[in-house]
Amino acid sequence: MSAASPTARRGIATRAVLYAILGLFAIVYLMPLYVMLTTSFKTLEEIHQGNMLALPGQWTLDPWREAWGSACIGLECNGVHGYFFNSIKIVVPAVLISGLLGAFNGYVLTKWKFRGHKIVFGLMLFSCFIPFQIILLPMARVLGILHLANSTAGLVLVHIVYGIGFTTLFFRNFYASFPDELVRAAQLDGAGFFTIFFRILLPASVPIIVVTIIWQFTNVWNDFLFGVSFASGDSAPITVALNNLVNSSTGVKAYNVNMAAAMVAAVPTLIVYILAGKYFLRGLMSGSVKG
Amino acid sequence: MSFLHINNVHKRFGETHVLKGIDIAIEQGDFLVLVGPSGCGKSTLLNMIAGLDSISEGELRLDGRCINDVHPSRRDIAMVFQSYALYPSMTVAGNIGFGLEMRKVPRKQRREAVDRVAKLLQIENLLDRKPGQLSGGQRQRVAMGRALVRDPQLFLFDEPLSNLDAKLRVDMRTEIKQLHQRLGTTIVYVTHDQIEAMTLASRIAVMRGGELQQLGTPQAVYDDPNNLFVAGFMGSPSMNLVKARIVEQGGLPVAQVATDDSTLTLPVVRDRDALRDWCDRDVILGLRPEAITDPASANHGEGNIHEAELPVALVEPTGADLYVVTTLGGTHVNARMRPGTPLRSGERTRFAFDVSRMVVFDPESEQRIRDERTAETTPLEETA
Repeated sequence: MSAASPTARRGIATRAVLYAILGLFAIVYLMPLYVMLTTSFKTLEEIHQGNMLALPGQWTLDPWREAWGSACIGLECNGVHGYFFNSIKIVVPAVLISGLLGAFNGYVLTKWKFRGHKIVFGLMLFSCFIPFQIILLPMARVLGILHLANSTAGLVLVHIVYGIGFTTLFFRNFYASFPDELVRAAQLDGAGFFTIFFRILLPASVPIIVVTIIWQFTNVWNDFLFGVSFASGDSAPITVALNNLVNSSTGVKAYNVNMAAAMVAAVPTLIVYILAGKYFLRGLMSGSVKG
Repeated sequence: MSFLHINNVHKRFGETHVLKGIDIAIEQGDFLVLVGPSGCGKSTLLNMIAGLDSISEGELRLDGRCINDVHPSRRDIAMVFQSYALYPSMTVAGNIGFGLEMRKVPRKQRREAVDRVAKLLQIENLLDRKPGQLSGGQRQRVAMGRALVRDPQLFLFDEPLSNLDAKLRVDMRTEIKQLHQRLGTTIVYVTHDQIEAMTLASRIAVMRGGELQQLGTPQAVYDDPNNLFVAGFMGSPSMNLVKARIVEQGGLPVAQVATDDSTLTLPVVRDRDALRDWCDRDVILGLRPEAITDPASANHGEGNIHEAELPVALVEPTGADLYVVTTLGGTHVNARMRPGTPLRSGERTRFAFDVSRMVVFDPESEQRIRDERTAETTPLEETA
């Protein structure tokens, strides 16, 4: 077999075309990120000279500082940092509580089946398909009745309710392939309902926990509609603040500050993906083969 | 009062009647094996003893105490599961000690108990590993350790060897038997493998379709089966079941069997009184392969040997034995002969029938035809 045989040559050619296409798509997808990053390190004068794709002639961190601490959003000029922490205050409890409730639901729906468990699961699954817009008015009414309108707690509640459908789906499918014999063995060993959950099932659920955290974190962090509808002013999340920042015009559009603020808004989800990404696919697959 | 008493136990799942009144009683130290084909209800019965399935009707007594409504963890029962059911996130030591931990045994005592069991099962060097790092045989040992450490009144085994490869299965079988002999524990063991049942049990309960077919010692179940099902299920190669006719000859019942070219007459030794009523009626004869041999290896001392020359249909050497197939009553019949007997299919040779081991069945009801007084191993007698 010589290296120059026709089949081998055709193989190399195919591969080259394949990589060319992949490279092209990678460039297309990475281009916006590149533009955002470079623009956020440029001075306004440099931006006004045009040439969007060029690297910054003079690197500066001022746009980042301004976006974080002093950019004007509406009438206040304190930057996005307050809203960044708002988002954290919303995301952390929303992810943890909806995740825990989903894990619990999955546990009960697979290991302590009751009459009608399929209908209950079906309804929870159905909630995954309800578009956001439909629930805006009813939810506003509910939050009003609970005196949670325009508050971080209210937004947390909305995200928990909306997230339970997904987290239940993840954990139910994962626990469906978790052997029932383990639960029975633990029962014989004298473990109760909660002990079995916390000692046996939960420690074995790392892949699906990671999936749930990534999914819920990105969804809640990136949410704009609920944020803009149910939390305004000081309790708004960063997505809403970013929108307001861009729309607060003071004459000249500070593209570099806008880009830096957008990067600030995007960084947490990027970090979560980079840290836990390899578990994501693995976890998504693990529940889907069976159950 | 017996140690474990299963008294007329029923199980229904909605409309389906899974267990139809099971009566079994065993003594302390007994090794009871529940054996039967899949779907016979043996695992359901085991789960009911464990408390993992509810009892629809009847009563379960352990050491004199009714345990129908006692929670699984308070029955003083430990179970080894088919899949071993080791907790994946805990170490071997954690797995073995979990039951004690749940019972609030102090850490130091727990550690001692785990070490003692680990030593018994020779898994001391595995205590810090996770179940995922163990081989099949090691997991099996850990699963047994988890049951042993609690020192319960009763051990339940649910097909514990079915996930092991053939060689390991035989080794572990021996180990379980040795463990039982050393510790003198009471065991209920479920399997569909009749060889496991024969080798391990002190009592075998053969089940089919939710009903107990026979309860007795392995030898009794093997030699003296209650019906055609038990006769065919126990033993490998299985018992030869041959169509025959009972006729009277010289005042005694004899069995006549059609061979390829003539008729073979075999005298009846067992259950003669009962068979007097069966003259001129069709029956089914049961003869174990080892009860049909070459004349030289026949047990002339104790048996009642009847010889006949028959054509050889097939010869199957297994190394240890030579199975010679002939045709009786229209079906193939296995005879176990000395290996090295020079035989080829188509030849004729002399077969020696040990008629003292022959059993007779009613072809209609498939029940054994037996004298009243020999009915020693029927379930009713056992539980009385």
